[in-house]
Amino acid sequence: MTVNTARHGLLWHLRIALLETRFQFLSSLRLPAFAVPTLLFPLFFYFFFAVLFQAGGPSLTGPTYMLATYGVFGVLAPSIFGFGVGLAQERDTGALLLKRTTPMPTAAYLFARVGTAAIFGAVVVLALFLLAGFAAGVELHRGQWFSLAGVVLAAALPFSAVGLAIGAWAKQQAAVAVVNLVFIAMSVLSGLWFPISMLPGFLQDFANVFPAYHLGQLALRTIDLDLGRPLWFHLALLAGQTGVCLAVAAAGFRRFSGR
Amino acid sequence: MAGDERSPWRRDPWIAAVAVAVFAGVLMVLPVPEPADPPGGPLPETNFAVVDVTVFDGEEFRPHRDVRVEDGRIRAVGQRLRLPDDLPRVDGRGHTLLPGLIDAHTHTYGMVLNDSLRFGVTTVFDQFTQPSLAAMKRPARESLARTDEADLFSAGNLATAPGGHGTQFGVPVETLTSAEEAPAFVAARKEEGADWIKIVWEDGGTFGADIPTLDRETIAAVIEAAHAEEMLAVIHISTLEHGLAALEMGIDGLVHVWGDEVISEADAARFAEAGVFVIPTLSVRVAAAGESMGPELLEATEPEHVSPMQRQTLTGTFPRPVGTSEAAVESVRRLHAAGVRILAGTDAPNPGTGFGISMHGELRLLERAGLSPAEALEAATAHPPDAFGIEDRGRLARGRIADLLLVAGDLANDLSRSTAIAGVWKDGFPVEAAWVASYPKAPDLYLISDFTDGVEASFGLDWQETADSLRGGSSHATLSARDGALHVEGALVPGFVFLWAGAIWSPGEERLQPVDLTGRQVVRFRVRGDGGDYAVQLFGAAPQSTAPGSVPFTAPPEWTEVEIPLERFESANPGIIAGLSFVATGDPREFAFELDDVEIR
Repeated sequence: MTVNTARHGLLWHLRIALLETRFQFLSSLRLPAFAVPTLLFPLFFYFFFAVLFQAGGPSLTGPTYMLATYGVFGVLAPSIFGFGVGLAQERDTGALLLKRTTPMPTAAYLFARVGTAAIFGAVVVLALFLLAGFAAGVELHRGQWFSLAGVVLAAALPFSAVGLAIGAWAKQQAAVAVVNLVFIAMSVLSGLWFPISMLPGFLQDFANVFPAYHLGQLALRTIDLDLGRPLWFHLALLAGQTGVCLAVAAAGFRRFSGR
Repeated sequence: MAGDERSPWRRDPWIAAVAVAVFAGVLMVLPVPEPADPPGGPLPETNFAVVDVTVFDGEEFRPHRDVRVEDGRIRAVGQRLRLPDDLPRVDGRGHTLLPGLIDAHTHTYGMVLNDSLRFGVTTVFDQFTQPSLAAMKRPARESLARTDEADLFSAGNLATAPGGHGTQFGVPVETLTSAEEAPAFVAARKEEGADWIKIVWEDGGTFGADIPTLDRETIAAVIEAAHAEEMLAVIHISTLEHGLAALEMGIDGLVHVWGDEVISEADAARFAEAGVFVIPTLSVRVAAAGESMGPELLEATEPEHVSPMQRQTLTGTFPRPVGTSEAAVESVRRLHAAGVRILAGTDAPNPGTGFGISMHGELRLLERAGLSPAEALEAATAHPPDAFGIEDRGRLARGRIADLLLVAGDLANDLSRSTAIAGVWKDGFPVEAAWVASYPKAPDLYLISDFTDGVEASFGLDWQETADSLRGGSSHATLSARDGALHVEGALVPGFVFLWAGAIWSPGEERLQPVDLTGRQVVRFRVRGDGGDYAVQLFGAAPQSTAPGSVPFTAPPEWTEVEIPLERFESANPGIIAGLSFVATGDPREFAFELDDVEIR
């Protein structure tokens, strides 16, 4: 069945998108295997490495640095798992096919997935910020708190593109493995778990291939702890990587539709 | 569906709005740094921090650093230091914080250590001054007490030949004549407290003079004796040939670069290999070549920050141009490229240089010679103490003395911003930027002498003889007060570059001590004599290092009144006067004149 969506207005689209976001969010929340590690992992790491290990240290560089990188890490998980695993799951169980028979536009589906990732991300960011500000002693200028939060939440978009590319190709079981591999490897090699400067030189160069590296640097840039590469460098590479992921995803969907 | 009251569509926007509000609300209550005061107001002292500043640590620039000072020393340098809430902090954003500069070539006297400090030069390496002055200043460098002077390290008495370069300033100098005297000479310097040995090798050839100088054997012996006493030996040279010869003799450093020719890359590599450091003193090289940095530096500086003496020496000029600056600059470029350690030094207070302020010119000149801003600053901070083996200073790091210079702007991109001084700390205490008058005020008397009571003056010192014999020449003069007039008789005799002889009056309690006579307009006097040509000379704020202003007059047989406006002496600081002399100058001759009713009003 097809519906001519052209006769519907913007408000209709928005309403559908919000509703789908709501349902996506609720279904994700009800999936402890997704929700718990997504929310707890970054908080757990931050508590250990930034609060406990750094307590009473002479400098707040560590806790401040990790606030940015674990913030990005916190958004990475829901984005890449939501799309990568969730999408593969919905496709292989036929839920995606069912959704495609409804009048819901594809854009609303994508919006809902990114939105859900951003909501989970926002919860992580909020908890991380509270932990950093009131337990680790991190102090940022007011504008820096806001811009850091903005960059971290915006990371949901490029990360979702990575998840989309994986979900569009991998089968349900394979998707979990692939997403986990990409998730862990990209986090570590992009310097989200510990400072990129602790990696050997060739790995620091290699980090340029990961969107997480550029998002980490953009987040660190808001608090003056980045490596000092120009803004356009990170934005250009990030845009290119997101474009590649979307193209890969589109190819995957064409394959799926044609089957 | 839209009509269904239970539809989530009705509630979702509210939930979303509340969620966004909560999110923003949390961001609004998260902790922010304690407020920091922008520099410009009174600066904190002893215990404070400069936060979010670009630090130059002695080697490289490090942005967004916090520097914490405690009890005169640097307690911590780092990003986002954990600082006590009540610690006073200076907002360093847009500023560069560097270790206090170190001028590796000066000659110290009078108030000059305050002149240096006000311009962020917190330590000077003096290359010849009176050992007694060096000894007097020595305790301050071991102390972290509040001071208004830069710390002094000095060679003290230099090693030169009798009548050689360094003996012409009217200051007693111990000299030596042979290699055999070298060990005892060096031991005496060590006993006096000299921090290293400075040798002079100067025959005057590059400026058309013939000056006695040490021979090569003696120079080599002094270097050897210094090393035997575990002291550094540095040398003044004027030619590349002498520089290379000193290198062969095992010298540790050169206190000038030559200006006569450009060094080859191979010879530059020899300096690098031997580990010999060079203090090019380009400031005095360009001044000697008639291209002083003085006007440029005065332009870049608040007038009230410059002392009369700084203004006087900065605007001073050499009698005639010597050498070219291009050869010196190019040689420095090659020495630096070869890896020779370059140290910034000014040779203040030579004409065209000023204490403290000229270090900022030297930075610009080193940049002209191919050093990057960081390399030029390293030459002015970390290199001098490294080269001279002095601890504690020259780097901005934990445990070092809190000698700091805060500059508005990013020196990494624009080194000339170093004159935009936003703050100077010495031992953790802020330094007053403005020069504070320290000259004694002259009494409100206009008549200096009518000579009814002999050679007495109404204030200041009595009239005295002056002649080039003070500087090794042979001219002479005698004074006598008879019949209410001062009789001056004598002869100009060849023996010095400039000949003079006559009478001099000093307005202060010491000979040629600068005194504040602001507001006076003219010098007036009556004169008669042999009809010859004479000159009134006016000594300003830096009488030892700059030539006096000179206005000619004749002494006709009949009593004649002469009035000279003070502005004709073209002094940089018209109100500051250290001496007034009435002398015969020019070609050798005998002379006689009488002086009466000398007034300054």
